[in-house]
Amino acid sequence: MAEEQLIESFADKKPAEPVIEFKGVSKTYPSGTHALEDVNIRINKGEFVFVVGSSGAGKSTFMKLIMREEKANTGYINVNGYNLTKMRRKQVPLLRRTMGIVFKDFRLIPTKNVFDNVAFAMHVVGESGREVRREVSKALSKVGLGEKARSMPRQLSGGEQQRVGLARALVNAPDLIIADEPTGNVDPNMSYEIVELLTEINKRGTTILMVTHDHQLVREFKHRVIMLDKGRIIADNAAGGAE
Amino acid sequence: MKFSSVRYLIKDGFKGAWANRLMSLASIGVLIACMVIIGLAILISENVNMAIGNLEKENVVIVYMKDYNWALYGDELAVNDDTSSDVESGEDAENVEDTENETASDENAEETVDEKDVPDENGIKYSDYVIHNEQEAEKLRADIAALDNVAEAVYISSEEGLENAKAQMLGEQADYFTFLDDAYGNPMSAAVKVSMVDMSLFDETLEQIEKMNGVDTIQSYREIAQKINTLKQAIYVAGFWIIAILAIIALVIVSNTIRVTMYNRKLEISIMKAVGATDAFVRIPFVVEGLIIGLISALLSEVIIYFCYRVATEKIKDVLGSVISFREVSVYLLLVFIAIGIFAGIFGSFIMIRKYLKREGSEFTAI
Repeated sequence: MAEEQLIESFADKKPAEPVIEFKGVSKTYPSGTHALEDVNIRINKGEFVFVVGSSGAGKSTFMKLIMREEKANTGYINVNGYNLTKMRRKQVPLLRRTMGIVFKDFRLIPTKNVFDNVAFAMHVVGESGREVRREVSKALSKVGLGEKARSMPRQLSGGEQQRVGLARALVNAPDLIIADEPTGNVDPNMSYEIVELLTEINKRGTTILMVTHDHQLVREFKHRVIMLDKGRIIADNAAGGAE
Repeated sequence: MKFSSVRYLIKDGFKGAWANRLMSLASIGVLIACMVIIGLAILISENVNMAIGNLEKENVVIVYMKDYNWALYGDELAVNDDTSSDVESGEDAENVEDTENETASDENAEETVDEKDVPDENGIKYSDYVIHNEQEAEKLRADIAALDNVAEAVYISSEEGLENAKAQMLGEQADYFTFLDDAYGNPMSAAVKVSMVDMSLFDETLEQIEKMNGVDTIQSYREIAQKINTLKQAIYVAGFWIIAILAIIALVIVSNTIRVTMYNRKLEISIMKAVGATDAFVRIPFVVEGLIIGLISALLSEVIIYFCYRVATEKIKDVLGSVISFREVSVYLLLVFIAIGIFAGIFGSFIMIRKYLKREGSEFTAI
């Protein structure tokens, strides 16, 4: 299978620094909406970056371009060593395996229990059963859900569900974790815990890119902040604590 | 793809079918309904075909031979025009029969050979007729039987022919007319009773037989043959369309059921894609699920149709005379069902999932 050969040939490829690089990127949707205009950005390995901005500022498009859910109209994008501007459709799964994604709405499979929801991400990359059991248990312990491995998602609180999502994102030990408003559907205490958890993961060298509306969190955790407005970067505060 | 992945995906397919058992049950129900209707259509058409086949077998063709009796009584030669010698001719006929039946004896054979061109007491020469003995009659029968479209060719001696004719014309009262034989002799020529495989080749086959040396006239039921042929064609065409339309309906309904299943599971597909699953990885569990649903439906349909057919045949046996036993068609039906099940299950999910594979992230929520 050509796809499999492709996966194997890319498997050993080490991501080049920077982790994320945008050069003169613009994105206009077929409806005519200018989502991003001439965006230039560079996020290096090991950084923790908050992406903030009001609704319609271009945050979602920015994330979608990184995940290659959308293609840029102009400019150059490089993520984890992959040139997204020249990427073929078959290579997209390989790119996504280098990153962990955390969603605002958790996106857990309702018919699979906690363990299987996390294990699923490892099966996708073709890990063997023994490895899967070991790593999933480790990931669940890391997010404090070791005891709830057999629970179904509907039996968990919002915060717990998001922690399952987080375990799924980090189980493959990715170089980059993209969190799209991970605290959007959880209470403030849990939000704090989730960002703390992400910070801990970041300390071990994983690059974190987190979209948020929660200014309180941004002020609390002193990380780099990129602010978007009307598709343009209006502030990039490497020192953290943006308004 | 690694073996562990394949094992995981197959297991996941089973789990998926169970986890979404309500939708699986709906799909199985729809598939069973379609399969049972198709199965019944097949059984009905098979039974009608069998009934027509029986009719065909009865609708035989009689090929008369140019034997001694033909020479003696046939119109073409009209050798025996002495109407006053009725009794004699009757006796002669018996003699002729004897001669015909005993050609194996050297004495008669030599006599015939020696007096080849000398007319006998009835004025018949050896060269006046074609079929001189049983060997030649058997050869003609074998030649007819060897034709592609001939199902059966049975030799009928002139005595048998007369008996049959009397039975047909006079029925049970035939016995009262035995004096006819005594008085006039047997005018029947030996014949071959032919039944055909395919009535649509009726004319061509008759033509082939007519050309054979030693064949006199052919008594056939051309009109009935044509009617049966037309009826058979009509049933074939109607059966084909009924089954084709039902199969299309089945596929449309199954596709819709799968579409609903996919719609319910678009979240699952979007997550699979987000964590880096290849198209094949997303597809296989759904295809396995489709396969399981298809196979379960096929087996249940076979069981249901067995009971339906048993009940139905008990009631219609008297009308149709005989029906095809379920055992005869059970394997064929099961194969048809499995084929439909596999086709609907695998191709249904394969085709329907394509639409979702092309979508990305938020596009799923927009569906």
